Amino acid sequence: MKPEHVDMVQWDMVRNQIDSDFGAGVTKRILGSLTPVSLPRGKGISFYLVPPNWLQILDRDFKPFTPLSLGIWLGDLVEGKFRLSLPVLERVQEFTSNLLIVSRQGAESFTYGRSILKESVNKIDPSLLRGQKVFILNESNECLGLAALSVDAYKINRLAKDRLVAKNLVDIGWYIRRLS
Amino acid sequence: MERRHWCLNPRANGSDRILIGKEQRKRAKELAKQYGYLPYMIERYVVLWGEQEAIQFLKACERPIKKSIRLNTLRATVEETLSRLKAKGVRLKKVPWLETGYIADFRRISPGSLLEHMRGFYYVQGVPSMTVAEALSPQPDSLVVDMAAAPGGKTTHMAQMMNNSGVVVSIEQDRLRTASLESNIHRCGVTSSIVLRGDSRKLDQLGIAPDYILLDAPCSGEGLIALDPSRKRSKSMADIRFCATKQDALLDVAISSLAPGGTLVYSTCSIAPEENEFVIDDLLKRRPEMKIVPINIEFGIPAYPNPYGVELHESLTLARRFLPHKHDLEGFFICRIEKEESS
Repeated sequence: MKPEHVDMVQWDMVRNQIDSDFGAGVTKRILGSLTPVSLPRGKGISFYLVPPNWLQILDRDFKPFTPLSLGIWLGDLVEGKFRLSLPVLERVQEFTSNLLIVSRQGAESFTYGRSILKESVNKIDPSLLRGQKVFILNESNECLGLAALSVDAYKINRLAKDRLVAKNLVDIGWYIRRLS
Repeated sequence: MERRHWCLNPRANGSDRILIGKEQRKRAKELAKQYGYLPYMIERYVVLWGEQEAIQFLKACERPIKKSIRLNTLRATVEETLSRLKAKGVRLKKVPWLETGYIADFRRISPGSLLEHMRGFYYVQGVPSMTVAEALSPQPDSLVVDMAAAPGGKTTHMAQMMNNSGVVVSIEQDRLRTASLESNIHRCGVTSSIVLRGDSRKLDQLGIAPDYILLDAPCSGEGLIALDPSRKRSKSMADIRFCATKQDALLDVAISSLAPGGTLVYSTCSIAPEENEFVIDDLLKRRPEMKIVPINIEFGIPAYPNPYGVELHESLTLARRFLPHKHDLEGFFICRIEKEESS
């Protein structure tokens, strides 16, 4: 197992999913001058972004070692579905308006793996629709993770305060929970 | 005349065994009982330091080690992190010889629970561990190998010092520990690392010639007694011997792989000369192309050129030690070695 240049069919799936979730051209902007490479992982494939001058290092056979990760972890493609990685969220967030700003209590609860309830919502673009992925930001506009809207944004004001607004997909508390 | 007993040194070859008197042995046994250690450990401390200093060491190991953190400039400026932590009531005191190292009193807050930690603004790390990366001081755009990388404190520190330029190849053999290594690399915003799982003793098969190698070698952990009191009784001399053999093998392969003119830092979290000075002394005999060089930061005390009365290479005084009873820190050994340009 070694890092490979991306398969163009798979890369098209990744690009299409990122762009459809967060806006046309977002993948290209994240990529910048970096090169995508892939690495098989479990049932899926992990994608990484590396500087072009790394390709000569990556050309070698890594035996007897097993490469686990390299450069910037973009995310994983499993059974045709692409999931953005946690460390790349901040980069993607810069290029999208899919943002949900939450209260202090909501932010703390979210980093413990909880989802977002109506009472925690401070601000959201009313044009966002149910099922869309949104970046969860605290009151200081710091990215805490990613969630999927469970209701159209323009309907949120009609909800009771304890109703679910966005389901937690991944949050930065994972770094800590993973180690415990 | 006092009877003297041989206390077996793991590096023993017939000439460098430790001599201990009957009275010293009796006293060591009493101290071992009083402080809950295996007697062989105290015997070594008494021969290495004398009884009074050995007692100071034992007392120091009963005291807790202060928490310390490294501010991660890949994620936030020093000023920003300091200001945020102070606003949350964390008391911070800079470690004089470290660029970004601070003694941190979190009071009742868990250091891992703060948002700043989750966002990678700081890394909870012992002062000696931070000092290891600073002792290597890898330059930007270099090729660096971290041979025993988990959980990632030194890998992330080196990537920080290189401002994410160059490449840090981080090797770890343990499957579970690679998870913490990867997690910390991602959390700290490191984008210049390649994480490999495997046995670092096969580094030469990778076909790379690193400019810098950090070998924080697997060791018996005899410097961590204050953090892990079970270490007072959990390791035998055979364990130390086993570690020393592995350390020899790791050093040999590191030096074979290192680029000519390259730099290696060897460190352990052990106070045992058997895993430190003796290992390096043997290395200097085996590999004449290597020489110990000064570390460009001021910390700790010089390493021992004649531990247990055994004369070793005089340049060992250029290596440094942290000792719990002298520095209120974990016990550590740090040695910077360079490979000849022409080798």
